[in-house]
Amino acid sequence: MAKSYDYLFKLLLIGDSGVGKTCVLFRFSEDAFNTTFISTIGIDFKIRTIELEGKKIKLQIWDTAGQERFRTITTAYYRGAMGIMLVYDITNEKSFDNIKNWIRNIEENASANVEKMLLGNKCELEDKRQVSRERGEQLAIEYGIKFMETSAKNSINVEDAFFTLARDIKAQTEKKLEASNPPKGGLQVKPSEPNRKPPSWLSKCSIL
Amino acid sequence: MSTSTPINAQDVTSSAHYDLLIQEIESVDDYLGPTFSSGTQTKFDHLIKELEATNTGISSVIRAIYDGGEHDQFMEHLDNNIKNHDKDIERMCNFHYQGFIDSIRELQQVKAQAMHLKSEVIDLNDALQNSASNVLSKGEDLVEARRVENNIQVTIEKLTQCLPVFSTYAKLQKQMKDKRFYPALKTLEQLEHTHLPCVSNYRFFQQMKDNIPKLRENIKVASMSDLKDFLENIRKFSSRIGEVAMKHTAEQLNSDAIMIGKKTKKKRQAPAPPNPFTGQISSSFDEEDDPSAQHLIDFSPVYRCLHIYTVLGAQDEFQNYYRKQRQEQARLVLQPPPNMHENIASYKSYVHSVVGFFVVEDHVLNTTENLISRAYLDQHWESALGKISNALRTQSAYCTDATLLLHIKDLIMLFITTLRNYGYSVNQLFDLLHELGDHYNEVLMQRWVQVFRELLEEESFIPIHVETRDEYDDVVETFPFVDETLESSSFPKKFPFSQMVPNVYQQVKEFIYACLKFSEDLNLSQSEVDDMMRKSTNLLLTRTFSGCLSSLFHKPSLALNQIIQIIIDTRYLEDATVYLEQFVSNITGSMVEGQVLGSRGEGHLFRVARDEAERQICEKLKAKLDNFLELENYDWLLVEPRGHASSFITDLIAFLQSIFQSFTNIPSSVAKEVCKSACEHIAKSLLGFMLSDDVKQISMGALQQINLDTIQCEQFAASDPVPGLGEGVLLHYFAHLRQVLDLLMAWDWPTYFHDYGQEDTKYQYVNPNTAIILLEKLREADKKSVFSALKKSERDKKKLLETVLKQLRQLAVTAATAGNGN
Repeated sequence: MAKSYDYLFKLLLIGDSGVGKTCVLFRFSEDAFNTTFISTIGIDFKIRTIELEGKKIKLQIWDTAGQERFRTITTAYYRGAMGIMLVYDITNEKSFDNIKNWIRNIEENASANVEKMLLGNKCELEDKRQVSRERGEQLAIEYGIKFMETSAKNSINVEDAFFTLARDIKAQTEKKLEASNPPKGGLQVKPSEPNRKPPSWLSKCSIL
Repeated sequence: MSTSTPINAQDVTSSAHYDLLIQEIESVDDYLGPTFSSGTQTKFDHLIKELEATNTGISSVIRAIYDGGEHDQFMEHLDNNIKNHDKDIERMCNFHYQGFIDSIRELQQVKAQAMHLKSEVIDLNDALQNSASNVLSKGEDLVEARRVENNIQVTIEKLTQCLPVFSTYAKLQKQMKDKRFYPALKTLEQLEHTHLPCVSNYRFFQQMKDNIPKLRENIKVASMSDLKDFLENIRKFSSRIGEVAMKHTAEQLNSDAIMIGKKTKKKRQAPAPPNPFTGQISSSFDEEDDPSAQHLIDFSPVYRCLHIYTVLGAQDEFQNYYRKQRQEQARLVLQPPPNMHENIASYKSYVHSVVGFFVVEDHVLNTTENLISRAYLDQHWESALGKISNALRTQSAYCTDATLLLHIKDLIMLFITTLRNYGYSVNQLFDLLHELGDHYNEVLMQRWVQVFRELLEEESFIPIHVETRDEYDDVVETFPFVDETLESSSFPKKFPFSQMVPNVYQQVKEFIYACLKFSEDLNLSQSEVDDMMRKSTNLLLTRTFSGCLSSLFHKPSLALNQIIQIIIDTRYLEDATVYLEQFVSNITGSMVEGQVLGSRGEGHLFRVARDEAERQICEKLKAKLDNFLELENYDWLLVEPRGHASSFITDLIAFLQSIFQSFTNIPSSVAKEVCKSACEHIAKSLLGFMLSDDVKQISMGALQQINLDTIQCEQFAASDPVPGLGEGVLLHYFAHLRQVLDLLMAWDWPTYFHDYGQEDTKYQYVNPNTAIILLEKLREADKKSVFSALKKSERDKKKLLETVLKQLRQLAVTAATAGNGN
């Protein structure tokens, strides 16, 4: 059966409740915006296929509930994630301050080499801004991760952010692939192989 | 000789004078002649005498002379003779000269006197002429005057004779001019029979006589034109008449109400309506305290015309004409204006015209004889009634404005009452009102579709969150909800339902109010109204609102939890129907007679919507599952399974688990349904992968991998993800897949063939066709194996496979024919 994609990357969106994770995802997957605030229950995901350097890449992006009560459910998804978007709201100081808690969560639950990125969302609300761009950049540098200010509403940088993250994951994946399978070897590894590489997260015991 | 008469110089005026003179001279000469002859001269003298005496004998004288040859001597003698004569003449002249002069002088004197006399005569003549001419002219004048006097006498006589004729004729003309046709007709008769016979010898008698029929015709025509004017007027004003009539009816109704209320007769102060016609009418209007509508118009042309035609014996003609004209008018009146449905004003003018028309007819019926009959009018009304109903029905059908429909209803009610007061039968119109009522409800439904749409459009479908007591009270006031625990819990509180519930509840109440408006004044019984209300409300909720909800589900942005909230909301709305029931009873004032609203669809008011919502949840979840299933990437030639389930399956199962963990508010029955549909979908999809035409071969390893994945799913199914589902219910959905996998992996064909067609066996769900497809795929995969043909065991295995396939095909064929046989 012909494969419809070359890579499958699992991304995770985390951040405080109300910073706009769902909106960012809705913008990226449907190119639309919804003004009514509906808080995410537990976990949701969207899939969008993009093309990078001739490769078809399926991005399965997990949208987590920011609310504390769903923390146990959402934390379970950290392990399988290959990229994590940390989102805060530039009009909400607290959501920015909490980024370090989210980073700690990642460190505790996600794979060590997971790609991360920091997003300051709602950048169209310049007059309500509480967190300067510089502070965002500063924080990103501290953690050694990339940073962007986005606006899901006005469609600023959302596309860029996901493509950047996907590109980084792709580079990392291909590097690992080369390391484990030197090209000179006769055994050809299927391009779809990598998505099976990560340990089957959450899998229960399997017979055989 | 003439030279010798000098008198000429002095004279003379008249030639006659000369003549006289010459005569005198000659006579003198004659006298003188013989005097001059001398006796001495013998022969010659004799000759000369002869010569002188006769002129004729001159020749003989001459001859005598010549014969004698003595002419010289004769000549000489002649000369001497002449000389003698001259001397005589001279002497005589000298002698008579003085006398001559005197005569002339006298003559001249006479002449002057004659002249004088003549002028005197002329003068006299002139004077006489002058005086006589005056007398003559006077005489002539006198004669003329005498004649005129005579003529005048005669004329006066004749005129006196003719005068009555003319005065009557003049009167006639004046009456014609004043349009007093009936007196004119009388005058004409008088003229014809009394006066005209007296003047029969005049030419104008004939003229007048000839004119009389013409005049009659004129009167007919004129009175007819009057009638035409009247008809035209009445057409113009009949709507006004109708308006006034309806106004009076309305006032009557009001005053009746007042009378009933206060038991005191209150004199109606009818405001004087604006006067549509002349001042005359208005004055009569003022005199009358309570003018009826028909008094607004002057009917006299009709009466007059009728009278005249009756007198002229053309009553039938008139009747026919009148009826025909009125029928024509009725046709126009009954034709509704185009676009009548657009505003109430056109309805009013239409209804007013109709009322006006029939009020006028009624009045004509009551005030004339033989013009129209009761039967005729009733028949006319019957046919009109059908048209009116049709027109109103058709036009109202276009109407989509509820308020306008209410106005139309009021108008028709008033129309009915007014015409009933005038004695027309109006029952047919009540049916129309009922139809209108149904249409009104339809229109309301349409309007509420819009209301609900907008309401749902803005709804976020998240539970109402209240921070303060006021906010809490607001919700509780609009929606009857009592919950002890919520009441006692501390703020902020969260209602189990979303804002949609109080909003919709409120709208339903508004709808009931709007519905009720139509039944006002409709003289319906309480139970009828009640029944109508409940029917409409039920319809609103089951059809309109549910329809709106259904269309809402097509919004892609609607999240799973929102749909779940909708399901929860509909339950709360259903619980509130009891209160709606009470509400209806309160406003209609009827006794609460069980739950009519509920009993029509107890618990099912939102059934349709809820079913739809459940289906939507299943669909949305299936779409999510499909997202996972699309990530499937089986290696169909896998030699060895990897010992754990495929990642897309583990992800899928994890996601399902978290869904049922997170959606704590999902009603258990819904959760069960959703979970069942999810399991069914997964099982079908996994089987579908293997059976797909795109997969040409399947290795045993791949089969085992699918088995691993299936086990993963079965574990989920067995883990009781949704409480309350019976044991094995979910597993049941994987049974088919499980049996297929077991059969192929255990290679347990003997059992399969042995048990085939029996109930409750190990492989009962495995269809021979399914088995054939999969076996063929396995065989294809085997061919790739390099060693397969070499080993004996492999060969045997291959042989067995072929036998099994053959057997299966037979089974499939018998199954197919059996299927056809049935």
